This record gives sequence, C-alpha cells and structure tokens, in this order.
Amino acid sequence: MKQQLRIGIAALALSTLGLAGCSSQSSETIVIGSQAYYSNEIVAEAYAQALEAAGYTVERSFSLGQRDVYVPAIVAGEVDLFPEYTGNLLQYFNPEASETEANAVYEALVAALPEGLSALAMSPATDQDSYNVTQEFAAANNLTSIADLANLGSVTLGGAPELAERPYGPQGLLAVYGVTVEFLATGDTTVESLVAGEVDMANVYSADPRINQLGLVTLSDPEGLFLSSNLVPIASEALDQGARDAVNAVSSAMSADGLVAMNVRSVEEQLSAAQIAEDWLRSEGLID
Amino acid sequence: MFDFQSLWMWLIDSKNWEGRYGLPNLITEHMTLTFMSIGIAALFALPIGIAIGHLGKGGSVVVLLGSASRAIPTMGLLFVLVMLLGVLQRELAVTMALVAIAFPPILSGAHAGIRAIESHIPEAARAQGMTGYQLIRLVEVPLAMPAIIGGFRIAWIQVVSTVVLAPLIGLGGLGFGIIQGLSLRNFDQVVASAMLIVILTVLGDQLIGVAQKTQSLRLENLSGGRNK
Repeated sequence: MKQQLRIGIAALALSTLGLAGCSSQSSETIVIGSQAYYSNEIVAEAYAQALEAAGYTVERSFSLGQRDVYVPAIVAGEVDLFPEYTGNLLQYFNPEASETEANAVYEALVAALPEGLSALAMSPATDQDSYNVTQEFAAANNLTSIADLANLGSVTLGGAPELAERPYGPQGLLAVYGVTVEFLATGDTTVESLVAGEVDMANVYSADPRINQLGLVTLSDPEGLFLSSNLVPIASEALDQGARDAVNAVSSAMSADGLVAMNVRSVEEQLSAAQIAEDWLRSEGLID
Repeated sequence: MFDFQSLWMWLIDSKNWEGRYGLPNLITEHMTLTFMSIGIAALFALPIGIAIGHLGKGGSVVVLLGSASRAIPTMGLLFVLVMLLGVLQRELAVTMALVAIAFPPILSGAHAGIRAIESHIPEAARAQGMTGYQLIRLVEVPLAMPAIIGGFRIAWIQVVSTVVLAPLIGLGGLGFGIIQGLSLRNFDQVVASAMLIVILTVLGDQLIGVAQKTQSLRLENLSGGRNK
C-alpha cells in the first residue's frame, strides 16, 4: 500500500519535486528523499540524523510520493540518498526479475540500477508482502504455512488491485503451492476486510503494526513465493565514503522487529518521524 | 509517445473482458453506482430545490450549499464513511459520498430554474385560481425543465468521474483499471480505462444535452415562437 498511493498525493508530490529541483545544490549538502509512507520517512530521518551527527549537512526532501515520481528525480541527481526496498525496487527496474531470495534479489538489484546510482549494504530489516490470516481462521484450519492452504476447499484472497497480476498473486499461489484462491481487490481496506471476515487471507506488508495489534498470523513461505524486500539505501555518487559508512551503520543496526517497533510508535503514539528516529538512534548508540 | 496499436491490443484482449474485474463488470458497476447516487440525490434535491424556488425563501442556503460542495474533499469523505460504516458497508459509503456530490447541482438547477421564471407568470396562474401545488406542477416545473435537466447534467459529469475512486476502498468501476494499471505500470490499461470513462461521460452529457434542448424547444413553441 505504500506504493499503491493515493492519487491525490501524486500532484502534491510533483509540486514538492519541483521545489526540490529548484533548490541550489551545493556539493556539501546531502539531499535525502523518502516515500510518502510513514515508515519510509522514519528510516530517512534515521539516515539524516546519523549523517548530521557525523558532521554532514543534509536537506530533507521527504514524502516524494510513489516510485514513478521520485525514481526519475534520483536518477537525475536531485536526490542523493533514499531508503528503498530491494524487491520492490528491483521489480521497478526489471519487472521480469525472477529472484526471490534476499541475497539474490540484492545482487540482481545492484546489476539493475542505472549508471550513477549505487545500493549501499542492505539492512536485515524487511518490509515485504506477506499473506496473513486471522488467529481464528489459522486455528480452525490448522494453518502455519501457505502450503497448508492446499487442504482447504476455497480461499478468498484480499489485496490491492495490482495483486491480481503480481507473480506472487493468484497465479503464483497456484503454480508454487497448488492453492486456488478467489481474488477480491480490497484496496486500502484490506486489513479491515480480513478482520470483518470478507476475505480469508490478506496481503499485508510485513512491517505493518496491525499484524501485531490485531494478532494476525503471517503464513510462512517455505517455497519463496514472495520477493524478499530488505531495506536498502540507494545513494548517488555525491555521497563520500564517510557518509556511506554512517548510513551503513544505521542499516546494519536496524532489525525487522526494530522497524516494526518504530512503526508501532508512529501509529499508536502519533510521534513525529524525527522523534522516533532520534530515540531509536540513541538506543542503538548511533548518536549521543 | 502514444501507442495506439498496443492500446487497441489491450482493448481487444479477451482476458480483459472476463471475470470479476473484466470490463463488462466494471462498466456495469460504474454505471450502477452513478445512477443510484444521482437517483437518490434527486429524490431529496428536487423537492427541496423546487420548494425553495417556489417559496422564494432560503435561496441563500442553495448558494451556500453549492459553493460548499466544491470544497468537499471527496476522497477524505469516502475514507471517513468507510471507517464509520465498516468495510462491509462500502457500497453504502461510496453511494453516500457520491450523493453528497450530486445533491448540490441538482438542487441549484431546480432552484435557479424556478427563480428565473418571470414573476407575472405565477401571478397570472394564481389569478386564474390555481393552488400552490397546481402552480408548481403545471407552471413552474415545466418552465424550469431545461434548468432542472441542466442540474442533472452537471451532477452526471461530477459523479461519473468521481466513481473512479471506488477501487481505493475495494469496489470496482472503471477506476480499477487506472489504479491497478498505475501500480503495474501497465499504461495501456490506464489509458484504455481513462478513455472509457471519458467516452461514458461525454456520451451521457450529450444525451442529457439533447433532452435539455428538446425541453427548451418545446417551451419556445409553447410561447408561440415569440422569442425567435
């Protein structure tokens, strides 16, 4: 859902981009971008504060919308650093990519990136597609893995409209696990539809706090149906080695649970991205 | 820039015409939501607009509503309604949001049409002994017909283009192809869906325009061609 944006925001993002393009670009200032997705903005804030602590001057150009809008800006050199997700970005540059395992996806992404852009070390933190069911449904049908669904007669799958055509969508479920699903495009109300019992299984991003809050059961994916999507900083050549080291330290300290915990703080405590990132950097000893 | 051939290939591909999210289903859903919302809006807006026009009181309310309606953030309203009513009531939520859009133009059309009637006409009707109800039914509404239809014309354009938001909350309609296509970067699908929406909008607008024209002509003929 982070990328399946709200159309209205696109126009706004475009105008923001225009502004970013106008600002003078001194070689010392590192321009950091982020998606219009709260979790992505927290990570971008963490990069920004870590760089500031290391003595760099940064300019925050956050909430740039969806990939179609901001990737051209990164390629054009208007943004120097951007938190991304290995699998989703690989899919953007190479829709035919068939890698799903984390390291293979990272290597394919490095190869697919355009000239002038580089992927820094990927983080163990992931935010990727996952199939989730309610606790009751899991218990009633004895489910722990996607493979267990094959024993069920019919399963209704809810997700964003594009899931219908994704490799891990209905066709992938049938081809990899022999599971037949009926697809319902539940859009931005996917989790609500799952809880209301309208669909049996829902595609939710793995770092979504609602998985914990609502006690959803994420089905394991032993056959690697889903594209791994680890957090990865995408950097332009404007970043020197010192800056890269500072960002890499953030990436390696961030775990999947750590990312979810920050997302929970954003959703439950309504704290700003800057506050959440600062607290986390402090607790990890990355700033003092 | 724009590849007509691949667009055409998308349109004639049979797999885009089948299933829950095939074009026939999406078009039907789009039209059902549109007609239902305009119908419900008319049910309330017409009597109120006619009454306000007839009584000559409360006209400022109509103007206020008309202006305020332009400021409604439809998408926000849609999400708020889904939250309040729950996902299982998403059809109701969409319909309510669309009714909110269709209501003001129909209301102002009816009100403006009746207010525009020269005051000696209802006076003459009264002098002939018509009751208020007869005056509305036999004089004011027939004379206001082109403006009333004009209200529907605006409502049609606004509603038919706003139904596009329905897939955001899990419904269909032709916006599905735009939202799915943008995420999949399938621009043939996006353009084809947008074109179908434009065609439906213009077609409906023209049809309503014909009805409006017919009513204007009928009125001109009634007045013995005085105005020609």
